[in-house]
Amino acid sequence: MNKKTKDIIGCISFMVGLIILFAVLSVIFVPKDNSRAAGMEAVQANGILGEKENTIDYIILGDSETHSSFTPMQIWKDYGYTGYVCGTNAQHLYESEKFLRQALKHQSPKYVIMETNAIYRYSSIENAIMAKAENYFPLFRYHDRWKNLKFSDLGGSVQYTYTNYSKGYRFEDRIDGVENKEYMKPTERTKHITKINRHYVNNIINLCKKNHIELILVSTPSISNWTYAKHNGIQKLADQNGLTYIDMNLLQDQLEIDWETDTRDKGDHLNYSGAVKVTDWLGTYFKQCGEFTDHRQDAAYQSWNKDLKRYEKKVSGK
Amino acid sequence: MTSYVSILYLLIFLPAVLLVYNVLPKKYRPIILLLASYAFFWSISRKLLVFLLVSTVSIHHIGLWLTAVQSERNDVLAKTERSGKKAVKALYIRRQRWIVFFAACVHVGTLLVLKYSGFFGRNINTLLQTAGVGLSVPILKLMMPIGISFYTMQAMSYVFDVYRETTKADKNLGRLALYMAFFPTIMEGPICRYADDAEQLWEGRRSTLENLTFGTERILYGVFKKIIIADRLNIMIKTLYTGYADYDGGMMAVAAIAYTCQLYMEFSGTMDVVIGSAELFGVVLPENFRHPFFSKSISEFWTRWHITLGTWFRDYIFYPLSMSKPLKKLTSKARKKIGNHFGPLIAGTMALFVVWLFNGLWHGAGWHYIFFGMYHLVLIVAANFVEPFTREFLEKIHIRREEGPYRIFRMIRTALLVCIGELFFRAEGLRAGFCMFNKMVTQFTLCSFTDGTIFSLGMDKLDFIVVALAVLFVFAVSVVSEKGTNVRRLLSTKRRIIRWAVCYGLILCCIIFGAYGMNYTPVDPIYAGF
Repeated sequence: MNKKTKDIIGCISFMVGLIILFAVLSVIFVPKDNSRAAGMEAVQANGILGEKENTIDYIILGDSETHSSFTPMQIWKDYGYTGYVCGTNAQHLYESEKFLRQALKHQSPKYVIMETNAIYRYSSIENAIMAKAENYFPLFRYHDRWKNLKFSDLGGSVQYTYTNYSKGYRFEDRIDGVENKEYMKPTERTKHITKINRHYVNNIINLCKKNHIELILVSTPSISNWTYAKHNGIQKLADQNGLTYIDMNLLQDQLEIDWETDTRDKGDHLNYSGAVKVTDWLGTYFKQCGEFTDHRQDAAYQSWNKDLKRYEKKVSGK
Repeated sequence: MTSYVSILYLLIFLPAVLLVYNVLPKKYRPIILLLASYAFFWSISRKLLVFLLVSTVSIHHIGLWLTAVQSERNDVLAKTERSGKKAVKALYIRRQRWIVFFAACVHVGTLLVLKYSGFFGRNINTLLQTAGVGLSVPILKLMMPIGISFYTMQAMSYVFDVYRETTKADKNLGRLALYMAFFPTIMEGPICRYADDAEQLWEGRRSTLENLTFGTERILYGVFKKIIIADRLNIMIKTLYTGYADYDGGMMAVAAIAYTCQLYMEFSGTMDVVIGSAELFGVVLPENFRHPFFSKSISEFWTRWHITLGTWFRDYIFYPLSMSKPLKKLTSKARKKIGNHFGPLIAGTMALFVVWLFNGLWHGAGWHYIFFGMYHLVLIVAANFVEPFTREFLEKIHIRREEGPYRIFRMIRTALLVCIGELFFRAEGLRAGFCMFNKMVTQFTLCSFTDGTIFSLGMDKLDFIVVALAVLFVFAVSVVSEKGTNVRRLLSTKRRIIRWAVCYGLILCCIIFGAYGMNYTPVDPIYAGF
């Protein structure tokens, strides 16, 4: 063997060794449960991993607009449909895709609702690459767990046990209102969706198609974030892909959002009273679609009734 | 690309350029480097690339212009009799000086306008307000191309060198353009000299296995310093410098030491990545650091810290000023009156004043940067003045200054003085700097170390332990290097299993203990902002 071949084999062996090390360490570093104590991040959204298999009817993806606007326990209470908000603060689409992929390992929802604010969030190539690397080697995501590693992490299997009683919704009843005004002024302008975000939207679309899930694009009411140009951009995207698009910012006559009382931060996010209105509308929409069955009397879903009690206690402040 | 220690640079851009560079025939390699450099610049500063292009074309023309004047002078001199030669030389020196002055106006002028107009404008307005004049100058908010402070100095060094005839003007615009724009150096230096770098950059050598191994090892070491030490310290430093009013003197001392450590690890770490990147292409860049914390005096420190900036100021400001006729005259007069030691110090101090004023200003448009420069000037000048007395005193008490405990004492003293300077350097303005310094001196307590405050600044015990161990590792490497051992060459003589274990260890340390990912805010490169 000549020196050049030896060198090439040496380089390849080094890389293979490194990949094996990454794989082994990823097994060690990945949280063994979906609780905060086990080192899981975004535990509320990741609470879906602890839900019983194939019990979720719909999944909601997106940024903070989702966990401020949709409260699945209200739909459970009114209609007996099960849903989960996998929304996190400033969620990027590569994270949305990851949440969906993880959820689909154990769940078979009929609908996925994609809140559209995340479609306009800037995603750098660098973060997208990192997200990809994290998918292959969770070591990159959970490397900071070195501080809390236990002996059991060395060979322990992953078992998700945590569930969130409000199903990803984050209760917030603070009022910090803003004057009611017309913020959706019709325009011909279209806000451009970046290539990188379009790529991830396509991934989510394909993932839904593959799993026979209907993807619905929804823009929740937000004075600070939404414009008619963005509406046009999403409408175009929906038309190109044959998706249903619901812009709640144009449904003021049905939702009756009062920006003086229904927002917690001057029109950026809704508060609880705003979320009740939005969720009420969504529940009615699901009812009209007629795809779901009422699980309230189903023995397999009794944990949801227990969660409802805790949820009601929380929102009533008692 | 936000920094050299970014995934996009290290895992995508650099390997891609390296691959294309090595696949293509030799004659295309410099062109690939040039195109990659412009792409790199464009990715950060977009259309401001035009500033770099104008600078490059401008020094290319100025270089050729100077050469034309010089060859014309030589022709005239050849035809002139001995008695008239002096006058001819003087005439042509004047003409060349006007060209150099023009170059300075274009390059330094652009830098002044883009970087300092806001600072000067604000100060002029304050003066006008104080004087009761109801006028104000408009404050411009201008975009600055990345690395302008660095490439302007490279441009000026080329012009000066052509003027001094130590370098021949380059007719090849591409070669000059690559010297100006080479992507590993464009953002944070080192500030290269045309004579040292242009030729090897343009040569297009194929990367050897040694280049690739040594370059990668150097990059790894730099990433280690930056993401394990500098970036992990960042949260605590930010908390202390923005909320200094809430903490005691002990914490101010921590702020000074931690920031000095961060700055060193950040800048020297980035330089390791930069020099390692160039090494991958077979290009040897000048070193910017030589274990500065082994310095026994502030003067020595500045020959080991940001070396290329120091040598630039030495060669193009200090020497010309101290060798100028008025200062030479002053020195010879002073020698006669106050002796051989103190005589030259007066002129030297005047030249040093200009150097340190520029040094302070180069780092940024702010009074605390000027203070930082003046602080070092005072320390250097004071040390020069007391030098004979110190020497005499130490001889009397039989202490050898270059050996044993006194040597260590000098190193620690220098390090502490540097930390104080960096406290002002990082402070949010000069007033804040003085407040922090005052607190450190007058309200020094160890309470914050015992009541848990130290662990409430964004770093817990384990963070401190990791930083301490990483600093110890860097210290150990520095000790070995300081003794003259080339650590990478030493490693290359070891068995493969040891070499690989060291590399795997460094990579895994960076990945596991690095301050990146979901719990950390990315830290912008500090020196890229200067």
